[in-house]
Amino acid sequence: MTVPVSPRPPTDRSLRRLRRLRSGWPAYLFLLPALLLVAYFSYFPAYLAVTRAFTDWDGLNVGGFTGLENFRRAVTDPVMGEATRNMLVWVALGLVLALVPPLLVAELIFHLRGRRRQYAYRTLFVAPIVIPSLVLLLVWGTFYRSDGLINTLLSAVGLGGWRHDWLSDPGTALYSLIFLGFPYVDAFSLLLLYAGLQNIPQDVFEAARLDGATGWRRVARVDLPLLRPQLGLIALLSVIGNMQYFVSPLVLTSGGPGFATTVPALLMYTTATRSGEYGYAMAVAVLLMVAVALLTAASRLMSRRAS
Amino acid sequence: MKRVLTLSSLLLVCAASAAPGAWRGTITMYVQEYTPNWPGVKKESQLKVFQSIADEYQKKYPGMKIRFSTVPVPDNDTNIRVKAAAGELFDIYWAQAASLNSTLPKNVALDLSKAFDQPNPYIPGNKAWKDVMSPSVLAESRAPNGAVYVLSGDEVAYTIFYNKDLFKKAGLTKAPTSFSELVADSKKLKAAGIAPFHAVPAYPWWSTYFLSDLYSRDYAKLAGFDGQPGFSALDEVVAIHKGVLSPKDDRFMSWWPKFKELTDLWPRDYLTLDVGKNYDAFNQDFVGGKSAMAFEGSYSARTLKDLGAKFEVGAFNFPKLTKNESPLATGANVANAFGGTGSFQFAISTPLANKTMREKGKQEAVLDWMRFFGTPRNLQRLTAENGSYAPTWKGTTPKLALDFDSSAIKAQIGRPRRAVNVGNAAPNLGWVDMQRIFGLYLSGNLTLDAAKKQVQTLLDRAAADYARKNRVDLAKYD
Repeated sequence: MTVPVSPRPPTDRSLRRLRRLRSGWPAYLFLLPALLLVAYFSYFPAYLAVTRAFTDWDGLNVGGFTGLENFRRAVTDPVMGEATRNMLVWVALGLVLALVPPLLVAELIFHLRGRRRQYAYRTLFVAPIVIPSLVLLLVWGTFYRSDGLINTLLSAVGLGGWRHDWLSDPGTALYSLIFLGFPYVDAFSLLLLYAGLQNIPQDVFEAARLDGATGWRRVARVDLPLLRPQLGLIALLSVIGNMQYFVSPLVLTSGGPGFATTVPALLMYTTATRSGEYGYAMAVAVLLMVAVALLTAASRLMSRRAS
Repeated sequence: MKRVLTLSSLLLVCAASAAPGAWRGTITMYVQEYTPNWPGVKKESQLKVFQSIADEYQKKYPGMKIRFSTVPVPDNDTNIRVKAAAGELFDIYWAQAASLNSTLPKNVALDLSKAFDQPNPYIPGNKAWKDVMSPSVLAESRAPNGAVYVLSGDEVAYTIFYNKDLFKKAGLTKAPTSFSELVADSKKLKAAGIAPFHAVPAYPWWSTYFLSDLYSRDYAKLAGFDGQPGFSALDEVVAIHKGVLSPKDDRFMSWWPKFKELTDLWPRDYLTLDVGKNYDAFNQDFVGGKSAMAFEGSYSARTLKDLGAKFEVGAFNFPKLTKNESPLATGANVANAFGGTGSFQFAISTPLANKTMREKGKQEAVLDWMRFFGTPRNLQRLTAENGSYAPTWKGTTPKLALDFDSSAIKAQIGRPRRAVNVGNAAPNLGWVDMQRIFGLYLSGNLTLDAAKKQVQTLLDRAAADYARKNRVDLAKYD
């Protein structure tokens, strides 16, 4: 004989949730188009990348299942190894460039006397964002030419011996690309840090002054600890951005000389568009995606522990 | 999908009568440098012939409309790939056979070989369309599976353009006639503060001249592995496999140090770059009067005109190699060794790459239009108007409209091409991976021995990839 099982009576909590859903349905309905678009344009491509990374997809025909072959190739390919090393250098130096110059400029502007002056300098540093980044790259490409501005300037100041083939020497090409775009003040980072400084209560600065913390000591003891959320965000975005970045090597060096400026994202792009090996390119993309996800998780964990 | 494509091929074969069938509608085309009425071009420079041919067809078959794409395409292969993935490829499009045979995905183009075996009803007395075509071009454009995806009708001649004003400035009164003279003249130009060349030394271009000379005595053997005229990708792979086109053979890389003597005199900016940057080098440096010479195709004559080059232009062909340059040189005339197909290279899209091709009767109609414009008479009209390309079909004569002393270019036209090179066996071989090694060597970042090792690895991988992808047993050629 079986004992009839009566459905479990709804708890207060689930009832509350149901009631909230029922009362909030118009809001969910309004959100639905945006969610569908995000799902189609953001999550669906990621799903395709993951599933097709296990095939020999050529971009058009249905790919045959190849198991882990693409991943095996990616982790054993010496070019991918060189590209990964380049990316790590780029991420490390990019992090310094993303944090230090905007912080210095934000501090300098914040300590200018007079709101008008602060506004003027802030505008001066933010205005260049209207210049398309491609234009900036092409201009810097001409600066780096053997007869370009940098070599001409070096000769003019008596440092002709330092003239160099900046982009065609494997020893300098990667660093030339990383350090392109002086004075490295990203407008978004600058504004974020400047806003962070503005949010520090005046009382804290006064207390620090009474305790003798002025100048660099105040920056180290007061500003930096209180700017930690902003610095953490900039660092995270910089790492993610630089791991996925490949525009300047694509435009200026095509990943060369040799593979001196090749990074995994560029390898992914050229493997797909030039060789038509989309399956392999997807595997590289998945590896990048996993690395970015892991770094993001690690960063969240670290910031949670720190706070 | 295989069934659809087989059906498509059968439909193409059945449709050999001079009529588009019952289908009526718009046929889209991308015809690259033959595009009529290109926006932004001066009225007097506009091309009109393709539109006239289309008008004739539209008049003959009311309800048919031919529409030419006038959107610039900076990277043709990527454009094909992307449009095909969306199922929106043009009905007829410009593509090179080498790309369709190796780099682009399979099933972006219909196999035209059976249609070429059929008569073209728009050519009086024609028994098979291929009878008017160049047999060696047809053989070289054949894919490993025997398919021919491209209607190929013209070729481009490559030459060394030079700025006569800069030559005069350096005290040079005539163009060099040997490679040693080319190096000597480059030294004089450099001494006068003029860059001899400012370019990416494209491996597939320069290597073809040197290899065609060094291997000229073995040409018949090397081009005969596949039993077809011309030097095909299969011939290339077999030669690699046998160690002939390989650093194991003394000839294969013997010319690298000689060529480096020349490139050591060039500014180094472009030496290690991608070959695609040559357009920048030509447009900015040569046309801008910063460098004295540029190695480019006959199509560049139009660029010189369009960009308004303000100097007297001359042209000379790749100079003969003598024993002075290499004890292995044969002295063969290889002036036309690098050239190849031009802009009259058209493929028809498949129903997979172009959804509109699934419409009943459209494929026959598109093929009929291709037959209509693909006659020697129309090819002659198109190439004569464009003036940059030489037609390759029987019954046509080259009429290059070059407004400078172009005797060097004209001397190449019509000569049989006996080219030997390495680059078509795998998508990345010539233009990407070999180019990287070549650039590193020429820029002094790699020794010749290290380069030889890297080249051998690259060639072995390319031959193995080719054999695997095309199911070729290379052992049977041993």
